[in-house]
Amino acid sequence: MTLGNSWSVAVKALKKNKLQTALTMVGMTIGVATVLTMIALGSGAQQAIQDQVRSAGMNIIVVTAGNFAKKPEPKGDGAIEFGAAYHPDGPNRAHLLRVFHPEDDPMAIHDHPVSKQRLGDSEAGLGSAATLTIDDANVIRKMKGVQYVSEGLHENAHIAYNGKRWFTRMHGDDVSQPLIRRSWSFTHGGYFTARQEKNAENVLVLGSIVAENLFGKSNPVGQTVTVWNQPFKVVGVLTSGSWMLTPAAGDDQFDAMYMPVTTVQKLLNLSKLNDITITTESTGDVSRVSKQVTILLRQRHKIPDTAPDDFQVNSEASKALTSGGMRPDVSAAVTANVSTLEKVTLSQLGKTLDQASATMTALLTSIAAVSLLVGGIGIMNIMLLSVSQRTREIGIRRALGARASDVLTQFLLEASTLSIVGGLLGIALGVATSISISRTVQWSTKISLPAVLISFGISAAVGIFFGYYPARQASNVLPIQSLKHE
Amino acid sequence: MEPVISIRNLTKTYQMGDISVHALRSISLDIHEGEFVSVIGPSGSGKSTLMHILGCLDQPTSGQYFLNNKDVSHLSDDEVSRVRNKQIGFVFQGFNLLTRTSALENVELPLLYNPDGAVSAAERKSRAMAALAAVGLKGREHHHPNQLSGGQQQRVAIARALLNNPTMLLADEPTGNLDSRTSVEVMNIFQKLKDERGITIVLITHEHDVAAYGSRIVSFKDGQILSDVANESRRIALDEISVMAPAAAGSH
Repeated sequence: MTLGNSWSVAVKALKKNKLQTALTMVGMTIGVATVLTMIALGSGAQQAIQDQVRSAGMNIIVVTAGNFAKKPEPKGDGAIEFGAAYHPDGPNRAHLLRVFHPEDDPMAIHDHPVSKQRLGDSEAGLGSAATLTIDDANVIRKMKGVQYVSEGLHENAHIAYNGKRWFTRMHGDDVSQPLIRRSWSFTHGGYFTARQEKNAENVLVLGSIVAENLFGKSNPVGQTVTVWNQPFKVVGVLTSGSWMLTPAAGDDQFDAMYMPVTTVQKLLNLSKLNDITITTESTGDVSRVSKQVTILLRQRHKIPDTAPDDFQVNSEASKALTSGGMRPDVSAAVTANVSTLEKVTLSQLGKTLDQASATMTALLTSIAAVSLLVGGIGIMNIMLLSVSQRTREIGIRRALGARASDVLTQFLLEASTLSIVGGLLGIALGVATSISISRTVQWSTKISLPAVLISFGISAAVGIFFGYYPARQASNVLPIQSLKHE
Repeated sequence: MEPVISIRNLTKTYQMGDISVHALRSISLDIHEGEFVSVIGPSGSGKSTLMHILGCLDQPTSGQYFLNNKDVSHLSDDEVSRVRNKQIGFVFQGFNLLTRTSALENVELPLLYNPDGAVSAAERKSRAMAALAAVGLKGREHHHPNQLSGGQQQRVAIARALLNNPTMLLADEPTGNLDSRTSVEVMNIFQKLKDERGITIVLITHEHDVAAYGSRIVSFKDGQILSDVANESRRIALDEISVMAPAAAGSH
């Protein structure tokens, strides 16, 4: 008998017992749907972790003006009491005075200098030194392996609209900032344009928190706000496009306003930058680009070999390593060696996260596999029952010339049809479930073609595996015994 | 003339625990083409065992069984399936139709298992329709067995048995589940097949009045042939139908 005929016989047999067929199929459907959903959830979590790693900026390098951490250590001052510096006859007075910074004097009265005054102190660090320029950024832009470069100039400022005032962060950035941030989305309008940046126009983009506080629910795009006594036109409102990051008052991204860096320079009457943000095309390139940037900037700033950098190159990877509640001294040591630690951080961090999510996927999948096993045993059970119920039918077919192999094929095809159709329905159900899970509870799910193929393969395999034994039983039924069977 | 069926020293012994049951004790029998042989005997006489071996549903313990001069007593499953499909048509007491399957599909079954390649669905259908029409079931092709009377079901089974033009029609108590009127009708079909188409028929029964329709009667007792005689006074089913009340003629 041809396979096509066997299959049509198998399908007819299944149709005769609709309820039995449907119930068996449901078992299989649920099994496959569970496996697929679990894989989707697992790989979704994996994807989310990878996204998080990426959007946490594992390919971001931040060059900050000034160098606080690498300020030369005072020599031999370990055991000397602080007051010794003020003893006129102290043996180390001259040396101590040389290394002692006036701001470190606890007795001094500090008038906190305005940013304008602080700029120019190359040892001030944390971006307040006036060592980086837009020209530096433009040179870095042309480097190999560099994806985006954004100049950064930051200040705190009041923004006023219609009598309402809000104190927030003011960021002067490049147009490429949204591409670096990745996780931004715009609720109204968009980012400022390259042309607006070039002309240093008075335009700004509001973070969602600022927009809410000044405009409530209405659309601020096109409105004019006041910053530092100057009118600014609002061109867009941005918010978080990622479920991992929720805008909150006081955060640096969404309780903030963004202007072209050129506009901020004009506004503050400055020619320098606080920092330059660089992204590399690939994460693995961060170390190399960091080194290249260091060399380039030292050349450009004409720093002699013996002097320390007047800037600091940090990557988000090293930040992730050093900001996790470490003691400041450990943190400093780590930062000082960051170029070597960075590789370790990237690969280890990635590996650890991957392992964690792989373990989770394996766990979920094995739970799902149990349900598939139950589905398979269901098929086997039904098929065995079917063989004993249909001994007479088998006998009739055998008497009419069906070979043992024809009977085997028929029962095997019945089992596989059950599992494959059940499996296909399961795939549809699994896809639907995954989509609705990610829509309703905002979990990230990912349905990949291999996952679908694996689920389908498993369902077919289960049918053949669990269908073989009953089919074998059926084909071994002796014709005379089956005909006597009432 | 060479016999169609020739069995020599056929023995069948069943092992039931410690006891050996001798169902057939060295039987030899020749059946020629066009014969209508009634095999009669009480239950336990070995006639059913003979029928199973003749139908290639069982294999003898020893001895030979030649069907069309070919020893079919010890064949592989595939070969024996071919013999059942091509050379033997079965008619059973319990009809043995597939339930919840139309008369047409039941009759098509032997063609579905045709060992010489697939028969197209259209040809299967047309041949099955013709076979059903030949037994007077035109218009009932799509009825399921539970929608047909006993006599009609047996006629579906006969149509199915004849579909591949078998060498032999093997009938096991074909009237056992039928009333006397339909029994006569079925016997009429058998006699017509023998007379008009020259089909060899082996009828197994334990009723003497059913056996009397055959042209030759073989009696069995305790696994041996008791007598093997030509039936001079055979019953003619057609004559019996004509004297029956015509009002009942529509009962099938």
